[in-house]
Amino acid sequence: MQAIDDYINSVKMLPPAPRVVPELMKLLKQPNVDSSRIVKLISLEPSITANVLRMTNSAYFAAATPTTDLQEAVTRLGFQQVYQLATAATGARLLSNAQKGYGFNQGELWKHSVAAAVAAQLVAKKLGGEDENLVFTATLLHDIGKVILSQAVDGVYSKLIEETEIHQQSLAEAEKKLLGVDHAEAGGRLLSRWKFPANIVSAVWFHHSPKAAEPYQRLAAYAYLGNMIAHFMGYGYGHLAFALRGRGEALSILGLVPESVPQFMMDTFEQMHVIETFFALGGQAETA
Amino acid sequence: MVAQERTEAAEQCLVGIADLVVRPAGSVLLYTHPLGSGMGVAIYDPVSKAGGLWHAMLPDSSIDARRAQAHPAMFLNTGLAELLKRADDLDVKKENLLVYAAGGGRIMDATGYFNIGAHNHEVLVELLARQGLKVWAADVGGLANRTMQLDLRTGEVRLKISGQPKTRILCKP
Repeated sequence: MQAIDDYINSVKMLPPAPRVVPELMKLLKQPNVDSSRIVKLISLEPSITANVLRMTNSAYFAAATPTTDLQEAVTRLGFQQVYQLATAATGARLLSNAQKGYGFNQGELWKHSVAAAVAAQLVAKKLGGEDENLVFTATLLHDIGKVILSQAVDGVYSKLIEETEIHQQSLAEAEKKLLGVDHAEAGGRLLSRWKFPANIVSAVWFHHSPKAAEPYQRLAAYAYLGNMIAHFMGYGYGHLAFALRGRGEALSILGLVPESVPQFMMDTFEQMHVIETFFALGGQAETA
Repeated sequence: MVAQERTEAAEQCLVGIADLVVRPAGSVLLYTHPLGSGMGVAIYDPVSKAGGLWHAMLPDSSIDARRAQAHPAMFLNTGLAELLKRADDLDVKKENLLVYAAGGGRIMDATGYFNIGAHNHEVLVELLARQGLKVWAADVGGLANRTMQLDLRTGEVRLKISGQPKTRILCKP
């Protein structure tokens, strides 16, 4: 699909490739990784460094003496926490902008992504035996392709509405028909180019059709379910937010019954209370 | 945009997910978090100008009694009881109440596994009927994610559809 890669190349305002997160994922997989390597890596991105220091010195960790030393901060927080902060800082940078083509205001795509990632991680936690960080990261990035396609979608807006409302096509199906590529595939291609691991690329690429993500069906199913739960809870924004296909396969891949979905919504509700405060996601008046 | 200018002086009060607020007459604009497949319900008494707004997430509290205790507004059955009790605490007469509903967004789901929005709407209508209440105006289902607003000064109920710049009036009493 050279044409799609050419298209990605031609997109203006493509966000710069995140350097830290793919490398960090590799590092954390190694046993006994030297923390100085992690410090060296995260110091490449000021937003990550700032997040790590802020978290270390926050009341949440109740540090006796504040530190400005990154090595010290990494030691205090632990690698898993550092990884989550790096992912959050990177995700916020990539996903916070308004995306006019999709009808996202500033911050909405980010809020959606965080809610979906939180939901997917809670499902993974409940089921056990999963790398929860991996589930979180894959789901956090599931809509990254919308950042690429937003401008093109804006150009075919009225046709897109027609496809969804009149012909009952999902958003992804309408994109594929009108643009030759949908946001899921575009996102997968972008992450592949950014050297993210194959499982994350695949989960993003197939987050609307997890069965096709072989051999990473489970990860794609988590992303699918996280995305659905975020929408059901109102953390799904933009035009025709519910133009999504129901895929029972996502439940069967994970061995879940439909009745479990409300349970995960309630878990997500509680978790979002904590997260909203921490990531400062909440509360702008919706009265505009 | 006229509507927006008029609301600028009012106190704005967010009604979060699984939350409900009932207020006596006053210069207040209540508004929900985007509803998704949840239901937003507004009640308004045009006589006393008291009103309330409620955002329910799920149909029935029987799935989690502990959470229903902590967040009665999370479920339609326990939430409606709480909403009417709070209105009654303000001496609002049930027969005066105008009831409005919004939300219940639905994905394109042939499997029926993800029909929370549709189920929410059915259950709400049934619960209201049992209370002898009927919905005055509604905007329910479909592919939209909505935010609901109630302006206590006028009783006007407005909707903000995600992705659309302007609010839309659902009902002007």
